[in-house]
Amino acid sequence: MMQRVSTRWIALLVLVALILPNVITLAQDNVVTIEWWTVNSEEYSEEAQRGLAAQFEATHPNIRVNVTVLPESGFDERMTTTLGAGEGAPDVAFFWNTNWYPQALDLTPYIEADPDLGPETYFENFWLTRAVWQDKIVGLPLGVGANFVMYNKAVFDEAGVEYPTADWTTDDYLEMAAALADPDQRRWGGDRPRGPFRAIWRNYGAFPYSDDSTTVDGFLNSDASVAAYTWLWDLVASGATPTPADLEILGTEGTGPIDLFLAGRLAMATLNQGHMLNAIDAGVEFGIVPEPQVEGNERYVNAWSLTASIWSGTQHPDEAYEFLSYWVGPEGQRYLMENGNLFPSIPEVLAEYENAETDYAQAFFSVLEYRQVAEWTNAHPCNSTVLRAAVDAWDLINLGEIERDQVEATLDGLVEPSQAALDECVARLGG
Amino acid sequence: MNRETEITFKESAAAAARTARRADLGHSARQWLGYAAAYGFMTVLALLFMIPLLWMFSTSLKSRQEIFAWPPDWIPTSPQWFNYASAFEKYPLARFMLNSAFLVIANTIGELISVPLIAFAFARLRFPGKRILFVLMLSTMMLPGQIKLIPLFSMFSRLKMIGTYWPLILPSFFGNPFFIFLMVQYIRTIPRELDEAARMDGASTWTILYRIILPLSRPAITVLVVFTFLWTWNDFLQPLIYLSSFDSYPISVGLAFFQGRYSVEWNLFMAATLISIIPVLVLYFFAQRHLIGGISSLGLKG
Repeated sequence: MMQRVSTRWIALLVLVALILPNVITLAQDNVVTIEWWTVNSEEYSEEAQRGLAAQFEATHPNIRVNVTVLPESGFDERMTTTLGAGEGAPDVAFFWNTNWYPQALDLTPYIEADPDLGPETYFENFWLTRAVWQDKIVGLPLGVGANFVMYNKAVFDEAGVEYPTADWTTDDYLEMAAALADPDQRRWGGDRPRGPFRAIWRNYGAFPYSDDSTTVDGFLNSDASVAAYTWLWDLVASGATPTPADLEILGTEGTGPIDLFLAGRLAMATLNQGHMLNAIDAGVEFGIVPEPQVEGNERYVNAWSLTASIWSGTQHPDEAYEFLSYWVGPEGQRYLMENGNLFPSIPEVLAEYENAETDYAQAFFSVLEYRQVAEWTNAHPCNSTVLRAAVDAWDLINLGEIERDQVEATLDGLVEPSQAALDECVARLGG
Repeated sequence: MNRETEITFKESAAAAARTARRADLGHSARQWLGYAAAYGFMTVLALLFMIPLLWMFSTSLKSRQEIFAWPPDWIPTSPQWFNYASAFEKYPLARFMLNSAFLVIANTIGELISVPLIAFAFARLRFPGKRILFVLMLSTMMLPGQIKLIPLFSMFSRLKMIGTYWPLILPSFFGNPFFIFLMVQYIRTIPRELDEAARMDGASTWTILYRIILPLSRPAITVLVVFTFLWTWNDFLQPLIYLSSFDSYPISVGLAFFQGRYSVEWNLFMAATLISIIPVLVLYFFAQRHLIGGISSLGLKG
């Protein structure tokens, strides 16, 4: 009798042992794991992003998100390696390098089918510059950032100079920088723009070449462009601004001269919303104004958002879109704003920012309304070939190698090689 | 000897002794001055070379605004010792360092197994194609690591090893061409007569390697160990490419997290970096005699 019972139990156990793994496998088969690569930065900490993934998993039991948090300084290398290898790339990640766009999944069918998410969800200019590329939707714009001028109130007060206002001009900038500089204290009045592709050049009304991508002459060396370069020459000659070597050494890994600004050695600096948070943390009294305008011209801002995309090689595009639309949609951006420092790229969510009424937030939000430098550069894939020449001229001035009356001739001299580079690029891209 | 002569002799002897004493004093004073000058010069040089380290230490105790203040304060007005605690709170530095230590040990074991074997074969054994294989191995040294990155990633990806330590450890078990080249050169300086004498006493090839060659190659092996330690400890790119989990990152990758998108927290970064270089300093302290001996005997310079 006992033997028969034991045999039955053993048989039952064997049966369970045989069935159970299959049941578990079946259950596991229903759960899709997607790889998400991200970075740890001032705006979204590792903790906040893991929290976001956990919240997503709680509402999407069929999808598991495997989070890989990489250092900001190594993200490009990792992405470039995996995209270059054509394997091992993440299902969802930042595609902030335009060279990666060809490997981003076209989201057009998903966006068309999505009743909750679309171009109207986001700031229009960020959607146009960061989501759309060559008539494809290559990603969704996460967060917003922009350059603006931060001024150190203590330095202004000490020098007896009035704070700048939003309607200030490039001439005001020169005057203020000179008045604020104090060589005895190794203090500079303002920093100098690091390249012509930023807002100042555009504020003067300058463009590298014609809108139809055919002509450089009359654009790179236009009166507007000469005026912008001459303004830079005057700023450099004033001695009120750090040299490129100073900025290189003291400029915090190329991320902007925030440390000089916080130390009170730079009265005005072109910084961004991340630096603004640094200054708040450090307890520095500061104000924000847009980059100076040129009277009578339209005003531009160098602004950005980070393109978050799906890799075209993903095995789970539907699940990847589920997560992407959560992460970069209202829910995800709200979570990262409340649990981190993200400034969302969705107007209705940005309006919920807890310090929205502060002066600095208002000033930052107002800058986002301007036209973006990226509108033109993103729409003109050959712009970098001509900008290279424009940067050369910018550098010559920065290094003090040309005189004021040589600015125009220098730009004239760059027209021919720039035209050749533009023609070559346009031909290479098939016109 | 009359009394006068005796006196004259004693006086002469005393004068000679006085002169000798003066000469001795002069000599020891000159020697002392020489030592003082040499040590003074070396101290100044040491301080000069220590400036970056001192600046790191000073920065690690400053608030963010103080770091770039002018004139710079070498001694912070109120040292922020909690920067060290903050650095550890912000990221799992101890875990990162343990991971680095694991990688160092595993790589060192790998190199110690593979390099002497391969080097001995190239230096002592005769086999067909030896020269071609040696040149082939040397030529792999000329390839920059970045070029090999994508093919290697592809290979390890197909072996399902991405996200594990294997891509960072396995290559060391197949020899490093630089160390193999060093060891080959070193083994070639050991007289063959020692091998032959051992062989006449009945020693096998293995015995010659382990009983004769390896004990005599201690300087080269020290260089191998120290360089493996330093390269593995400081390697950033490969762990970055192959590892995916916060728990598995080594300290080189961990330190990079202190650099944000828009700024660097220099004070915390310097505190973390100072802690991370302690193992390297300790290793150098204990291995310096062998290392310097090894480097000079191998003809390695800067």
